[in-house]
Amino acid sequence: MTNAIDVDVERGPEPTAPPESYFVPATDVYETVEALVVLAEMPGVSPDGLEVTVEENVLVLRGDPAGPAGEEGDVLLKEFEVGPFYRAFQLPADYDTERIEASLGQGVLRLRLPKSERLKPRRIEVKAE
Amino acid sequence: MAIRAWVPSAEPFAQLQREMNRLFDSVFGRHFGGGRLQSAHVYPPTNVRETPAAYVVTCEVPGLAMDDLEVYVAREQLTLSGKREDGIPPEGATLHRRERESGRFSRAITLPGPVQGDATEATLAHGVLTVRIPKAEEAKPKRVQVEVQQ
Repeated sequence: MTNAIDVDVERGPEPTAPPESYFVPATDVYETVEALVVLAEMPGVSPDGLEVTVEENVLVLRGDPAGPAGEEGDVLLKEFEVGPFYRAFQLPADYDTERIEASLGQGVLRLRLPKSERLKPRRIEVKAE
Repeated sequence: MAIRAWVPSAEPFAQLQREMNRLFDSVFGRHFGGGRLQSAHVYPPTNVRETPAAYVVTCEVPGLAMDDLEVYVAREQLTLSGKREDGIPPEGATLHRRERESGRFSRAITLPGPVQGDATEATLAHGVLTVRIPKAEEAKPKRVQVEVQQ
């Protein structure tokens, strides 16, 4: 149960290979009794520009920010660049990848990966003899 | 400056990049390529552009709703403040990664010229805040008609 998603992989399987250059989204991962929750920051990305795939237990996140915003005029200060986001994680085999829930709000991708039934804590009834 | 890791395209440098990441791992004890550095930096990352009519300020504030943000313009100063606490894991959860930051922030940006603070427009879309502050009338460029003398 430990070591879940602790491994970043360099690249996903072939069709989901990374773009030529990209930003790595800052990501929180935590695990509850029921599921694994992934929160990844992708400012500027709308649901249309987002792609989440799981293949061979590699979770791949890709986000393309919607068209350039506020690009007119002369630059006075530049602290961030706009570009694609990409990140791949190795998932342990214990998650039900068929039932992943994904939502995107305020530029943060939220994924919920339910644990397989056999991983959930189960109360064992003890019978008195 | 941009804090989140940028992965460049040039293949000959990829190996070097990986070596650098490993070096950073050994120094900082965390995956350098995996998010923002924990060093002190300014938040939110901000770009400022100037058009003939206005200053356009864009900030990356993923996870913040308009209710979490306060935007003030006083004289030539724009102040952004708020609180980030989105995504704090529920009690009892096991934390595997914590790269996103949380807490209060406040940032003041001094604009280079007089503005019409009352006419400021702020919009928030997909975690990017855009503040458009029109310049004061006297600060807008005016075309001077040049008369040709015979």
